[in-house]
Amino acid sequence: MVRFLFSRVISASIVMLGVSCLVFLLIHLIPGDPVEVMLGETARPVDREALRQALGLNQPIHQQWWGYMKGLLHLDLGVSLHSKRPIFDLLKERFPVTFELTFFSLLVAVGLGFPLGVVAAVNKGTPWDYFAIGISILGVSIPIFWLGPLMILLFSYGLGWFPVSGREGIASIFLPAFTLGFAMSAILSRMVRSSLLEILSEDYIRTARAKGIQEWRVIWYHTLRNAMLPVITVLGLQLGALLGGTVIIEWVFSWPGIGQLTIEAIQKRDYPLVQGCVLMISLTYVLVNTGIDFVYGWLDPRIRLSEEG
Amino acid sequence: MGFWVPITVFLFWVILGLGSPFLNLDPEQMDLSKILNPPSLGFWLGYDDLGRSIADRLMAGATTSLVVSISVVGITLMIGTFVGTLSGYWGGWVDHGMVRLMDIFLAFPGLLLAIAMAGVLGPGIENVVMALCVVGWVGFARLSRAQVISIKQREHVQAALAIGLGRTQIILKHLLPLTLAPLIVEATFSLAGVVIAEASLSFLGLGVQPPDPSWGSMIRDGAQYMLVAPHMVIFPGIAVMLVVLAVNLLGDRFRDWLDVKSG
Amino acid sequence: MEFDEQNLPVPGLAVWKRVSPTQFRFTLKDSIQPFHDGSPFTSGDVKATLESILKPENASPHRGDLISIQKIETPDSRNIDIFLKSPDSFFPDRLRVGILPRKKIEEKHPFHTQPVGNGPFIFLLWPEEGSLKIKRMFDGQIFEFLYVKDHTVRVLKLLKGEIDMLQNDLPPELVSLLAKDQRVRVIKGKGSNFTYLGFNMEDPVVGRLGVRKAIAHALNREDMIRYVLGGAARPASALLPPEHWAGNQNLIFYSYNPVKAKNFLNQEGFDEQRLPKITYKTSSDPFRVRLATIIQRQLEKVGFEVDVRSYDWGTFYGDIKGGRFQMFSLTWVGITTPDIFHMIFHSESVPPNGANRGRFQNAVADQLIVQAQRADTRETQMDLYRHLQEVLLDQLPYIPLWYEDHFFAGNKNLEGYQLAPDGNYDGLSRISLNRKNKQ
Repeated sequence: MVRFLFSRVISASIVMLGVSCLVFLLIHLIPGDPVEVMLGETARPVDREALRQALGLNQPIHQQWWGYMKGLLHLDLGVSLHSKRPIFDLLKERFPVTFELTFFSLLVAVGLGFPLGVVAAVNKGTPWDYFAIGISILGVSIPIFWLGPLMILLFSYGLGWFPVSGREGIASIFLPAFTLGFAMSAILSRMVRSSLLEILSEDYIRTARAKGIQEWRVIWYHTLRNAMLPVITVLGLQLGALLGGTVIIEWVFSWPGIGQLTIEAIQKRDYPLVQGCVLMISLTYVLVNTGIDFVYGWLDPRIRLSEEG
Repeated sequence: MGFWVPITVFLFWVILGLGSPFLNLDPEQMDLSKILNPPSLGFWLGYDDLGRSIADRLMAGATTSLVVSISVVGITLMIGTFVGTLSGYWGGWVDHGMVRLMDIFLAFPGLLLAIAMAGVLGPGIENVVMALCVVGWVGFARLSRAQVISIKQREHVQAALAIGLGRTQIILKHLLPLTLAPLIVEATFSLAGVVIAEASLSFLGLGVQPPDPSWGSMIRDGAQYMLVAPHMVIFPGIAVMLVVLAVNLLGDRFRDWLDVKSG
Repeated sequence: MEFDEQNLPVPGLAVWKRVSPTQFRFTLKDSIQPFHDGSPFTSGDVKATLESILKPENASPHRGDLISIQKIETPDSRNIDIFLKSPDSFFPDRLRVGILPRKKIEEKHPFHTQPVGNGPFIFLLWPEEGSLKIKRMFDGQIFEFLYVKDHTVRVLKLLKGEIDMLQNDLPPELVSLLAKDQRVRVIKGKGSNFTYLGFNMEDPVVGRLGVRKAIAHALNREDMIRYVLGGAARPASALLPPEHWAGNQNLIFYSYNPVKAKNFLNQEGFDEQRLPKITYKTSSDPFRVRLATIIQRQLEKVGFEVDVRSYDWGTFYGDIKGGRFQMFSLTWVGITTPDIFHMIFHSESVPPNGANRGRFQNAVADQLIVQAQRADTRETQMDLYRHLQEVLLDQLPYIPLWYEDHFFAGNKNLEGYQLAPDGNYDGLSRISLNRKNKQ
């Protein structure tokens, strides 16, 4: 187990390093002169020079990279061109906002996806099953930036149940979380369904049934607990889609999180801020994935046992 | 319902996408007197906020989505398979390093890296293709590498090696055909993903620029008028959904068929 | 000064007497409110404000208006004597700048982030762009301004009561939607804000008169007003609307005539082989981009190659002020006196001295402007300004588009609001919420 943890930490660190390097390169991908793009073709030379100095673009690239890395270690991500505030502060402010959204979306995803998958598996072949599969296929195919406006049209304008956008009051989380969560629940429910089906046909389940144990006990104790493993795997994989979707959902619903900040930064050509946002989101993703790996390793007895003794 | 409906939708999309530049369309023709007209008998999908025919723009948008998705899938398939196969075959440090590299690219959730790249490279269809390629090669690389690794051990490859067939021969004649099938499945799902990704980027304003039509930017423009002219936002959304649905279903069918074959 | 419906100056804070051709005496009215920081409003504050504007090191854009002042004296706390360098019959027209408290000027108070004045509203908070809080003096009513970028969201917020009112800045389809809704009351009014296309006179393409005339003939303003603006605008031929005292009611704009447009282009040497290329800058407001796209299309039909570039407001306005453009569209808001002609069209008003961003240089126009400013009677002034506007319509440093109407949409229980022709929010000083009707 310890060796497992250790190797995970090492690989996570390598990945984070790689991510930082890639993000560092972003600003150098800008076609033409990055400073000119950021300030507009009509900026005064003295302003351009000042920005070049501030961003260290005059230095040779390895020096820039080293400066960038050092800054990261001190949690200094630079300053936003547009608002002149330290990028780290901006990210710190918005992180809990995005976290709120992802948390509630996850709740929706599990709350919808899990029961749907169970229903489908237990009632395999019946109309319930087809219904559940249908919903899940729909969820995978519908673009969330379309679903969002439709939800606003239906629930905010039509029925007036929820506020339109922004983050004010408890009701305002609902539409964004539901839109994002719905898409995820689709994938989750399919995974739950297939994983349950696999287990339900396993021998030890048949044995349990043969022994006369009640059906619900069979499902609950024996099946579901073992189904958790692949479900958590999927959750981990889907986390990526969730975080990526957050960017779009925050934009559609004017949810003031890191995703919205990223898009605004791109539109304002505030590239240092874009770098900061992408870095923060990706590193968070790596950390969470590593955490999931730990949970996975703890749950999977094969891994747990193989390292001991 | 499984096969015929999705394949019809898919073919319809492909034909429309390939053919629309040759039809006598004018997706930019503005007739101010028709601004925001809802669908009616003569003008089946209505007009947008500039008096342009939504039907024409929808069809031109099909070309955009087709061109981008085929390009991206084609390029990433080739690059990813090439890299993944070589890596799996050679093993050792090269393979190790490649796996790390793939992990790094996979560390960017969802469309984030594509959004950042498109944002940095600037608007335009070529940059969209480039950004999506940078993000998309990993899937194919991972898949082909896994395939190669598992096949490498198999007996007939050992046998071929024993006989003394050259490495290239082995790769081409033995490894590739077996990896091809799952790759096609992956390519199908990837196609669906790219259609949504292109639409998402255009929706955010990062992709195809106006006045060039793209379903994603049509949805963005349409959302502004959804209170007064919902047809503007509904039709492009349906288009994206139908195409993605069809391609996903086809991918599902492929995969089921493959499972049956290899099972 | 303040201005009436014809934009003629009427006494605002003071009445005046012309003591000699170069001396005016202003007497402060009794009814003047003290400043919001408590200090009384005296002649010393007027002197301090005007002198601060005149100081060259302060680089005030209003300095040009007041440059004829030679000296200011304050014989007592209610009277101000202003001595001019040369006779100017209409000097009081220029005194429309707000007066600031002298003490705070001396303390170098940051007025640009914390305004202090003596008007009907007191400034409370301005935490970020687009978010403002002010308090009405006479009853303590607080007004909060919110920035909502998306048109649909603004409308929905109003309909659901999340906001109480909004003014302008919606496409006409949404205005109609609001007008039909029971929860909301919509008031419409004619506007005087001037929407136009601006040009860089030094550009090789649009700097040529024939090209600009071609553009003018290529535009179908009537269709744009009818279909895109929903009829909520009046076609314009000049900077000042016809109801302005110095306006010209007899100007005739260029007809919509694509053939004539093509001819003008040919005369200037352009044809299919050599297309005139224009980069058309606009702000990123979706409605303006929509209009720009339509104009682009109309111009392309007569043979132009047009590239529309939209920028966020800060970048866009900065480019315009700095003269970095070929063609752009904008609106002049809140024009009151014809002094604006000097600021925009006189050849010496090239930035940073004024707002002649397109670098228009025309001797006839210069002469008319100067003569009008020196004129002795209103009648002479009116004639000169009318003539000037004819010249401007012929030379087209701007191509006038239209005067957009204004509208107000608010909770149906709001009463007493009046729209102003330049779309300002002065009506807020009289608006009230009738709570008896609220359920």
